Amino acid sequence: MEIKTKNEGTKLTISVSGRVDTVTAPEFEAGLKFGDATCVVIDLENVPYMSSAGLRLLLTAHKTMLASGGELQIANVQPSVKEVLDITGFSDILNLV
Amino acid sequence: MTQRRSLNLKLVVSVLTAFILSMAFTWFLHSRLSERDAYKLIDRTFESAEDEIIDCVDVRLVLQCMAARERIDDGYPLDTESLQALAKELHVTEISVANPDGDITYSSVPDYLAAPGKPAFNFRTAGGKAEDMMCLVTGPETEYCQPYRSNTANGAWRKFVGVWRPSAGGFVEIGCDGESLRGLSRSSIIDLFRNWRVGGTGGIVVTTATGLILSDYEEPNREGSLWTDPGDSFYWKRKEIEGFPVYVMVPKDSAAVQRDVLVGATAALNGAALVFVALLVGFVISAFVRQQLRIQSAKELEMAKDIQLAALPNVFPPFPDEPRVDIWAAMDTAKEVGGDFYDFYFTSQDHILFLVADVSGKGVPAAMFMMRAKTLIKSIAQTGKPLARVFEEANDALCEGNSSNTFVTVWAGVINRHTGHVTYVNAGHNPPVVMRGGKAEYLKSRPSLVLGAMPGVPYHVSEIQLEPGDSIYMYTDGIVEQPNASGELYGEDRLLKMLGDGTRKRAAVLNAVIDDMRRYATGVEQADDCTQLVLCYRGDPETFSGKYRPTMEDLAKASADLETALVQVPDACKNRLMVAADEIFANIVRYSGATDWTMTVERTRYPDGVRLVLTDDGKPFDPLAHRDPDTTLCAEERAVGGLGILIVKKTMSPVTYRRHSGRNILTIGSDYGNQDKK
Repeated sequence: MEIKTKNEGTKLTISVSGRVDTVTAPEFEAGLKFGDATCVVIDLENVPYMSSAGLRLLLTAHKTMLASGGELQIANVQPSVKEVLDITGFSDILNLV
Repeated sequence: MTQRRSLNLKLVVSVLTAFILSMAFTWFLHSRLSERDAYKLIDRTFESAEDEIIDCVDVRLVLQCMAARERIDDGYPLDTESLQALAKELHVTEISVANPDGDITYSSVPDYLAAPGKPAFNFRTAGGKAEDMMCLVTGPETEYCQPYRSNTANGAWRKFVGVWRPSAGGFVEIGCDGESLRGLSRSSIIDLFRNWRVGGTGGIVVTTATGLILSDYEEPNREGSLWTDPGDSFYWKRKEIEGFPVYVMVPKDSAAVQRDVLVGATAALNGAALVFVALLVGFVISAFVRQQLRIQSAKELEMAKDIQLAALPNVFPPFPDEPRVDIWAAMDTAKEVGGDFYDFYFTSQDHILFLVADVSGKGVPAAMFMMRAKTLIKSIAQTGKPLARVFEEANDALCEGNSSNTFVTVWAGVINRHTGHVTYVNAGHNPPVVMRGGKAEYLKSRPSLVLGAMPGVPYHVSEIQLEPGDSIYMYTDGIVEQPNASGELYGEDRLLKMLGDGTRKRAAVLNAVIDDMRRYATGVEQADDCTQLVLCYRGDPETFSGKYRPTMEDLAKASADLETALVQVPDACKNRLMVAADEIFANIVRYSGATDWTMTVERTRYPDGVRLVLTDDGKPFDPLAHRDPDTTLCAEERAVGGLGILIVKKTMSPVTYRRHSGRNILTIGSDYGNQDKK
């Protein structure tokens, strides 16, 4: 798994490559450091699929940003990931852009 | 039928009883009425008879009195003895002569005459009825008759009659007792009553005081004989008029004529009405009973249909652990219950028998024969005997006691699930269709005799080698013999064309054929049961098996193994399988407490699909038995527990769980080949 971050003032973009599952979830979790950014974008363009281990991290990140008054956006969701987000109802909670 | 007859009998008995009761009542009523009428008639007769008798007697006595007056005026001696002699001569009891003052001056009765110390009897002062006689002196009457009654003076019964005596003033009076009255008026009374009819055949009888018959109606020869009461066959009454006992009598049967006519007419009318009502009631009841029977038999047919359907295997896919052979079947029943059935089961570890059959006839008998045939074939086949032998034994058993000559056509095959080799027997059934490489053709073979027709018949076995991807489609004639609105049948050519379109698989084929047939027969009711079965031979799957420990390292290894096994599977399906597998791996490693776990990957073809079998020796856990988490809550309220299982259930089909030999066995499948065609 590869995680790249790009900081543009208060906006933080985190780009992830590779699947997110039980094996890679710890790596993904380690990469989710937001600092004092008020707008965080997680780019999933290169994530072919994601299991519930990844969903848990997305939900935690979403709640953290809400608590600090910031915003979390999920960008470029692939079909397989979208399917899982739809089944679990996460599509309605998260900001998909 | 017996019930119908006993119902009719009861109906007739009730109607008859009602009829008899009503007639008895009418008879009784009219008897009372005719009796009352008879007595009214008798009373009326007495009234006029009394008038007639009195008139008759009065006339006779006035004549007698005039005779006495004539003799006296001619100078007849008026001493008592002479008058007594005159009375005797004139057949009267007494004769008296009164002066204009009302005094009796001469009399045959000495008591009436004046004697020392006693004045003569005076009509004016005697009081009572005697005074009435004075009208002869005062006028204008010249004759006067008193009724026959008890004399006020001495209590003897007398009838007094007086006539005016213009020669001397005053009057002559005669008095008669009963005997004298009867003696004087006998002949005129006899003439009076002899021809007097009462109510047609009744009449009047007059007797003497001692009961001797003076006048009789119709039977003059009885006159002179002693009167006897007429008894029960007459309505009659006795009354004494002017000293005559008079009997008025009406024969009961003559009085009853009117009653008999009335009752007869009423009986005829009532009878007709009752017969009409009975017929009407009978008709209504039998219509009601027929309707109840129809409802009942419809219920029974419905039950027979339910039992029939329940007897057929209806879980698909039937063998989730068998990736090589896939069977789908359906029975679309017509309105009336028929005798179609299908069946499939293992006859040995490697062999699966599959069949479609159709019992002759319809209704409950066909359904019962079907149950028998199905059970019989299965019980013989599961002993592992060769197919021809199964048919021969089933045929012999079905022929036993088959008095109704019901029979069943069967096409049955046995497939070796490892090789795809099929042996089959066709007992008079429609040949099935083999679908191979997008082409469909009938599998013709030498047919044998239907089952149940004749014992001891041999059955020919044929065989065919199925290649992976081949299918056999079997059906009953309800499909090809369904007529359309113009009466033309759906036919085998249309069916073949339908099946030759190789884009459909398995269950989709069954629905497509039924839909096409129904479209063809739009507006026409389904004529017969339509039963179909399709068997697909998929060949051996590519398999991978691995055994793992409950560690994160082994979880990563299993994940990598799966990715390798799925290298030829399209991404969409592969991604789904990877996610689903990851959820189950995580559950086993984190929560099951297992000491080891295994994964088997089977990649099947025709249609393309993947099955994952995951086993572990951890605590029993059936993921399908858990409730799904609420996916509609907002972010703050959401937890992530349970989401993994939800994802597996939503993306995989079929998912089955069982616990076997201390291991949880979870099978998940994904037939992406089929899904992509949807």
